[in-house]
Amino acid sequence: MACSLALAACGSKGEAPSGGSGTGDTLAIGASLSLTGALAREGKLTQEGYQLCQDKVNAQGGVPVGGKKLKLAIEYQDDTSKPDTAAQLVDQFNDKGVKLILASYGSANTEAQAAVIERNGQVMVDSAGADNKIFSKGYKRTFAVLSPATEYASSIVKSIAELAQPKPKSVVFLSADDGFSKTVTEGGMKTAQEQGFTVMSPQYFKSGTSDVSSSLIKVKGQRPDVIIGSVHLVEGIAIVKQAKELGVVPAGGFGETVAPPTPDFAKTLGAQAENVLGSSQWTPSTKGEDKYFGNAQQYTSDIRAKFGHDAEYHDAEASAACLALTLAAESAGSTSPDKVRDALAALDTASFFGKIKFDPTGQNVYKPMSVIQIQKGKAVTVWPKDAAEASFIWPGTAS
Amino acid sequence: MTSFLQATLYGLLQGGLLGLIAVGFSLVWGVMNIVNLAHGAFVVLGAYVGWQVNDWIGLDPFLGMFVAAAVLFGLGYALQRWLINLVVNGPVFITLLLTFGLDLMIVQAMNIAFSADYRSIPTSYAGDSLHLGGIRVPLGRLLAFGVSVVVTLALVALVNRTRTGLSIMATGMDRAAARLMGIRARHVYALTFGIAAGLAGMAGTMIGTVGTFNPAAASGYTLLSFVIAVLGGLGNMYGALIGGLVIGLVEAWAGQYLPGTWINALAFLVLVVVLIVRPSGLVGRAYYAARLEV
Repeated sequence: MACSLALAACGSKGEAPSGGSGTGDTLAIGASLSLTGALAREGKLTQEGYQLCQDKVNAQGGVPVGGKKLKLAIEYQDDTSKPDTAAQLVDQFNDKGVKLILASYGSANTEAQAAVIERNGQVMVDSAGADNKIFSKGYKRTFAVLSPATEYASSIVKSIAELAQPKPKSVVFLSADDGFSKTVTEGGMKTAQEQGFTVMSPQYFKSGTSDVSSSLIKVKGQRPDVIIGSVHLVEGIAIVKQAKELGVVPAGGFGETVAPPTPDFAKTLGAQAENVLGSSQWTPSTKGEDKYFGNAQQYTSDIRAKFGHDAEYHDAEASAACLALTLAAESAGSTSPDKVRDALAALDTASFFGKIKFDPTGQNVYKPMSVIQIQKGKAVTVWPKDAAEASFIWPGTAS
Repeated sequence: MTSFLQATLYGLLQGGLLGLIAVGFSLVWGVMNIVNLAHGAFVVLGAYVGWQVNDWIGLDPFLGMFVAAAVLFGLGYALQRWLINLVVNGPVFITLLLTFGLDLMIVQAMNIAFSADYRSIPTSYAGDSLHLGGIRVPLGRLLAFGVSVVVTLALVALVNRTRTGLSIMATGMDRAAARLMGIRARHVYALTFGIAAGLAGMAGTMIGTVGTFNPAAASGYTLLSFVIAVLGGLGNMYGALIGGLVIGLVEAWAGQYLPGTWINALAFLVLVVVLIVRPSGLVGRAYYAARLEV
C-alpha cells in the first residue's frame, strides 16, 4: 500500500502541458501508462504506439479541427501497472482539463479507468483492454479498437477447424484465472463445441505463475489432441517448457493466444516454440490503410526505423487507438469531449490496423483476429486465409 | 497413481529450488534480524548475471552460477558493510524500509539495463527428462535440486566446522559477547549478507535455466522466501530447504486434488497450521528472540 501511494505520488510529478484540451494550437491528450511494474514491457510498447501516432500526425502539420491544425500533445504518466493508480491518473488529467484520454495497458487497468471516464464526462479510446466485461456495463464513453476477448482463443479454434489435416477430435483449455483469460477461455470453449470438438474440462492456474505443472499432469492422462492456453507470455512459456519436461505431447499441437506473437516467446523457447499457434490483434499482413500510417507494411518499417525492433501488435493497437481519437476530433470539428464521443460512435474507417467501427457498446467487433504460427523462429500469419503469409503446419508436434 | 507419483516428484524438485531461493533470506534474518526485502531483486539480478555470461561467452549456467554468486557476494558484502550497517542497530522498521528502497532501485535499474523482456538461459539439456517407469524426471530441475542440497550441506558445514561460520553463529546469538571474544561484528555481518546474496545469485541462475525471469518477478521471490523462511524456521541451515520441500509438495498435491487456483491458499493454510503447532517453524530455534542486545 505504501508502495502504491509512494509511486502514485512519484508518477504525478510530470509536467503539465501548456493549457488544457483545445486551447492554443495543441490537442492535449492524456495517457496513463504502465511504465514500471509487472506490465512494464507492454506499457512501453503502448507508449511507442502513441508516440509514433503523435509524430505521424504532427509531421502532417497536425489534426485539422474546425479550420485550425492542432498538434497532438500526448502527456504520459506512469501508473506502475496498478489499476487504482491508472484510475487516479485519469482523475488528475480531468482536474487539469484534459478530457481526451488514451487507455493504459491491459483489461484490469482499462476497466478501472472506464468507470472514472464515464463519471467525469471524459472520452477514452482503449488500446489493449479486451475483456468483454468493460463493455457490458453500459458505458458510453469508452471505445476499443481491438477485437473482444472472446475472439482470442476462438480464432485459434476456427483456424484449426478450417485448416488442420487430420482434423483433431479433442481440445483442452489451460487458463490463467484473471478475468480476461477466463473470458477468453469461455469464448474459446463455446466455439470449440460449435465446431464439433470434444471439449475437456478446463484447468485453471494462478495468473502470472511460471509453474503450470499441476495442470499439465492432470491433462496428460486424458490425451487431448490440442492444448490451448488462455495465457499471458509467462504462463505460455511455462506450458511449452514444462510440457516438454513432463512428456505431454498432444497429437495435434499447442495454441496459446497472446504469447506466441510476442518475440520473447520464440527467443526464450528456441526450437520448442516451433509450430505453436497464437492469436494476434494485428500482423504486418493486415489489410487496409489510412492517411497517417499508410498500410501495415509501412507501419512495420516506421516502428523499426524509430524504435529498432519489429512492430508488435501492442504497438499497432496503441497507434490505432490514437488514430481513432484523432480522426474523431477531425470529423467532430471540435475538441469538446461530447462531440468527439459522438464522432467516435459514428466512426467507420479503414486503417493500417484493419477496419475501425464501434458497436453501441464501444467494441470494434468488425475486425477479425489473425492467427499466427511460429515457423523457423518467426511468427507468420496463417489465418484468415486471405491474409496468410505461409501455409498452416499440422500436426504442430510432429518433429 | 502415475500422476500422483509424477506430481510428487515434480513437487520435490520444485521444492528444492524454492529452498535454494530462500536459504539466503533465512540466513540473514536468523543472524542479523534483517528482513531483507531486496532478496528477490538479488535473485533476479543473479539470473541476469548468469544470462549475461552465457550470452557473452556461452558459459553453461551450472558454471555461470558461480560467476553470479561471486558478483552478488561482492554486491551484498558492500551493501551491508557500507550501507545497511549504518542502521543495523535501529528498529527493525528502518532496515525494512532501507531494503525496500534497495529493492525498488535494483529492480528499476534492471528494467533500464535489461528492459522488462522475459528471458531464459538456453541450454541443450535442461528441458530434457529421464524416463523412470511412467514418470519423467526433468534433467534441469534435477540438477538444480542437487545444487540446492549441496549448497545447504555446505552451509551447514560452514557454520559448524569453520571459524568463519562459528563467528557468524556467535554474532547471531550474542553480538556483544562475540565482540568481547574479538570477533569483528561489522565484517561478519557483511560476510553473512554477502553469502546470502551470493546464494540468491545462484538460485537466480537456476531459475533462469529451468524457467523464465524478468525484473518484475523480484517481489514474488521475496514473498516466497519469507513464507519458506518462516515455515522452515530461522536459525537452522536446513530450515529453508525443508520449508521449500514442504511448500513444493503441498502445491503439487493441491494441484492434483483441488482446483488449480486454490494452490496458494493451501500453501498459506499449511503455514498457519505449522505456526500454531510450532511457532518457531518446523526446525527453527528461537534463539534470536531470546538473546540479549547490548
